[in-house]
Amino acid sequence: MNLPADGRTLDAAKKGSADLIILALVEDEPLHGYEIASRLERSCQGTLRFTLASLYATLYRLEERELVRSRWVERAGQRRRRCYRITDKGRKALAVQREDWSRFIAALTQIAGLRPA
Amino acid sequence: MTSPDWPLEIRAAAARVGVHLDDATVEELAEHLDDIYSAARRDGCSDEEAISRGRAALQESTLEVLRHAPSRRPAAPHHIAPDGGRRLNMMAALRLALRQLRLHRGFAAVTILVLALGVGATTTVFTIVDSVLVRPLPYRDPDRLVTLWDTSARRGRMQERISPVNFMDYRALPVFEGAAAWWRPSLNLTDPGLDPLRVNAIEVSGNFFDVLGVRPQLGDGFPAGGPFSVQREPLVVISDRLWRTRYNGDPAVVGRLLRFNERPHLVAGVMPPRFHYPDDIDVWQRLNWDLTQHSRAAHFMEAVARVRDDTTLEQAAIAVETLARRLQTDFAQTNRDWTVTLIPLLEEQLGYYRPALLVLAGAVGLLLMIGCLNIASLLLTRALSREREIALRIAMGASPRQLLVQLLAESLVLSSFGAVLGVVASAVALPALVRVAPSGIPRLDEAQLDVRALAVAVAIAVTTTIVFGLVPAVVLVGRKIAADLRSGERGSSRGARRAYSVIVVGQVALACTLLMSSALLIRTVVKMVTTPTGIDADAVVTTSVQLPIPNVVARLAVQQSRAIADTHELLLERIRQQPGVVSAGAASVLPLELDLRLPLEIDGDATPVRADDRSIAQYHAVSDGYFETMRAALASGRPFSKFDTADAAPVVIVNEAFVSRYLEGRQPLRRFVITNTRYIGVVAQNLMVKDGDPRLPTSLTPARFEIVGVVKDIRNMPLGQPVEPAVYFSSQQFPFREMHLVIRATTTTAAVAAVRASLASTAPSVPMGVVRTWAEQMAEKTQDARLLMTVLIFFGVAAASLAALGVYGLFSWSVAQRTRELAIRLTLGARPVSVGAGVVRQSAALVAIGLVVGLGIVRVSEAVLTRVLIDLSPHDPGSLAAAGILLAVVAIGACVPPAVRALRVDPVEGLRVE
Repeated sequence: MNLPADGRTLDAAKKGSADLIILALVEDEPLHGYEIASRLERSCQGTLRFTLASLYATLYRLEERELVRSRWVERAGQRRRRCYRITDKGRKALAVQREDWSRFIAALTQIAGLRPA
Repeated sequence: MTSPDWPLEIRAAAARVGVHLDDATVEELAEHLDDIYSAARRDGCSDEEAISRGRAALQESTLEVLRHAPSRRPAAPHHIAPDGGRRLNMMAALRLALRQLRLHRGFAAVTILVLALGVGATTTVFTIVDSVLVRPLPYRDPDRLVTLWDTSARRGRMQERISPVNFMDYRALPVFEGAAAWWRPSLNLTDPGLDPLRVNAIEVSGNFFDVLGVRPQLGDGFPAGGPFSVQREPLVVISDRLWRTRYNGDPAVVGRLLRFNERPHLVAGVMPPRFHYPDDIDVWQRLNWDLTQHSRAAHFMEAVARVRDDTTLEQAAIAVETLARRLQTDFAQTNRDWTVTLIPLLEEQLGYYRPALLVLAGAVGLLLMIGCLNIASLLLTRALSREREIALRIAMGASPRQLLVQLLAESLVLSSFGAVLGVVASAVALPALVRVAPSGIPRLDEAQLDVRALAVAVAIAVTTTIVFGLVPAVVLVGRKIAADLRSGERGSSRGARRAYSVIVVGQVALACTLLMSSALLIRTVVKMVTTPTGIDADAVVTTSVQLPIPNVVARLAVQQSRAIADTHELLLERIRQQPGVVSAGAASVLPLELDLRLPLEIDGDATPVRADDRSIAQYHAVSDGYFETMRAALASGRPFSKFDTADAAPVVIVNEAFVSRYLEGRQPLRRFVITNTRYIGVVAQNLMVKDGDPRLPTSLTPARFEIVGVVKDIRNMPLGQPVEPAVYFSSQQFPFREMHLVIRATTTTAAVAAVRASLASTAPSVPMGVVRTWAEQMAEKTQDARLLMTVLIFFGVAAASLAALGVYGLFSWSVAQRTRELAIRLTLGARPVSVGAGVVRQSAALVAIGLVVGLGIVRVSEAVLTRVLIDLSPHDPGSLAAAGILLAVVAIGACVPPAVRALRVDPVEGLRVE
């Protein structure tokens, strides 16, 4: 296993975890893009961030894989927003990913001597 | 200050990195940036700061990652409506199409207008053709009904009225379930307290309504099963129109006695509204004389027959022709050369209108096709101009299917708007057209837009959509645009050019067909209107008066006829004395209408063995003052005077056609013509033919009439047919009960007042016929052709304009495409003029091909065209050349602006185009 020996480690990990993060965020309620971004920022104080393009590229990819589904929602007096909700397939994928990541993190914790934040 | 135009900034940013974002994505990203901006403002940031946060978010984004994102086109399956239901892909495509068309308003407007023109014209003409030509007549099994006509090819009479005796023979044939016959007497209706009225009437066999299969709305009609014709009790059936206008719709009119020509007739029924068969008839009088007791040589009846259900029309035609051949031998004296023709009722009813409507339908079809070709070229142009956009979409992963759906949606939107607008236009135009159309077109007043017309409009819309939306789309998508994109070349490929050329040739060809047909019709109408009629009588007022058979003085027919002659003469004399009247006269028939053709002999010529070989001429009776009033010129001799009475010497005036036919090279004046025609039914009697040998019941002494004058030909046949030989008798020597009065006066009002006053003092119970000036009569006689011409001119101009637009479009596009090539050629020293000439040359070649094809189409449609052209061949070189040249000038003219543009190509700019 070749891991780059600089900050790119985190980048790669983030990239790999992007699907997991977004699926988790929309697990409980449908959210639009900005809500997803701002919740993520709030909950990890800026450690994890999507750029505008990467957030939507990910959302579109998830949607194409039918893990989330979007719809335009119009509310009185507001602009219409596209909201994303998780699909059944998405829930299954989320469960699998959670499992994988838990094992991975447990392994890392043990091997690399990580400590929970 | 408010937030910036985020969509614009996003597109600009995307364009900088060569990414094309679809509208939905841009909208979503813009919302996001706006949220960042709003959040910053809520956090207390200044406006500039809030904006720069948004911009920072955009700038740190590498939009390239969205390049390979699945298309967020509305057609994508994830697109769900706010109502929760799934939208059809097509619906989303339609929304996008609407937006696209809003962006290209000019293109949309032109396309929709062209389509609306096509759909409107087609729907209108379809409705007219449908209600006049296609919809069944309101009779029982109308396709079993035929009309019977005597025909004689040798005499050039292809549709002559039938002889009553022959009719009775044909009627007995087993191929017919029944046959009815009638003739047209003139009836005056007098009711106490009401103005006397001339009614349009036929005297008809008692089975008439049974043959047609129509029943009166009131009353029983003529009793069924009675004898065919001889019935002593005079019965009439009247029309709904007469019933409502004269008797206020009083049902008690049935069973009442009405006085027609002074004889009481029992009203046996009232027909349903709009029943006026055979034409504008208001009174059907039951026949009360024996048809078999008439003459086989007298052709004056009309007939309709119902062919049995188990017999085809062809079989029926063969049966009557076989019988006609037998009658030819059995009654050679009268029936030689005569046969009979069956014409289906509908065809006969339509007459000129049938070919005219077919021409109209053809014309509108052509116009629609030109319109569609135009739309095809518009759509093609637009598709070509979007080549890069489409290439980008394909590069971004849009599937060909998605692109097709999108292009299809756009043309669907266009054609729907066009169809709606066209139907609205048609709804407005149809009533207007019905109002201006000749009143004689049967059933035109029933024409209304209905479901079927709407179906036609929808069908046109759908067809244009599929054909003309799909073709450019297929051309484009099939052209491996990705390759073009890579190479950066413009896609002025041969395929598109060829498609374009075909469209232009098609447009020119169709426009050429329309213009040539219009030109032929124009020539026809001009010819009709300018045909010399032999008279100069535009201002002359015409009307007619029919005197009843007088029951005065004596029962003798001769004395009655003398009384009629005297009354007419007195009436004319009184009219001439009225203020404002310049001159007045009377004739048994007015010009342009054919009167009875009867035999006569030229004194001194050998009498032919067979009666049939005798000279035939039209018999007219005219009063003194008639030729003067109509300003007909005499070639020699004198006109009639008031002294040419029944007691004076018998005299006639002949026309020039008579002289050249029967008296070629001989002096006509003081020569004698001999006739033994004494009666023309109950309408006229020749007073100069006397009773002969009293021992022989039918013996007559033929009368010798001296030719005292030769009148220059007055047209005595419908327009377009040659003048026939005619003999004019003095109306005092050969009086007709019904005479047409002609009055030249200072004003029309003065003329009408003069007739009214004189009639009131001479024959108060006699109604005055319809009053019209001669100019109005002429206009009426040419109105069918004029209306058709007007419509065709309109279509022709529309077609030529559309074709010119097509040519212009092609060459504009072509020059734009070739700017670079032209620039290179100019740089290499080509002279600008030769470059421009090249463009014109190309267009001339296409136009020439189009003209040739168009000429071919005219040739193919000759059969129909011939039937609407009067006295003009469909090959008339003048008309064809005029139309061809006009179209060529317009079409080649249309490519001048693009050619000029080609001339002005700046080599440097041209090379920098890409």
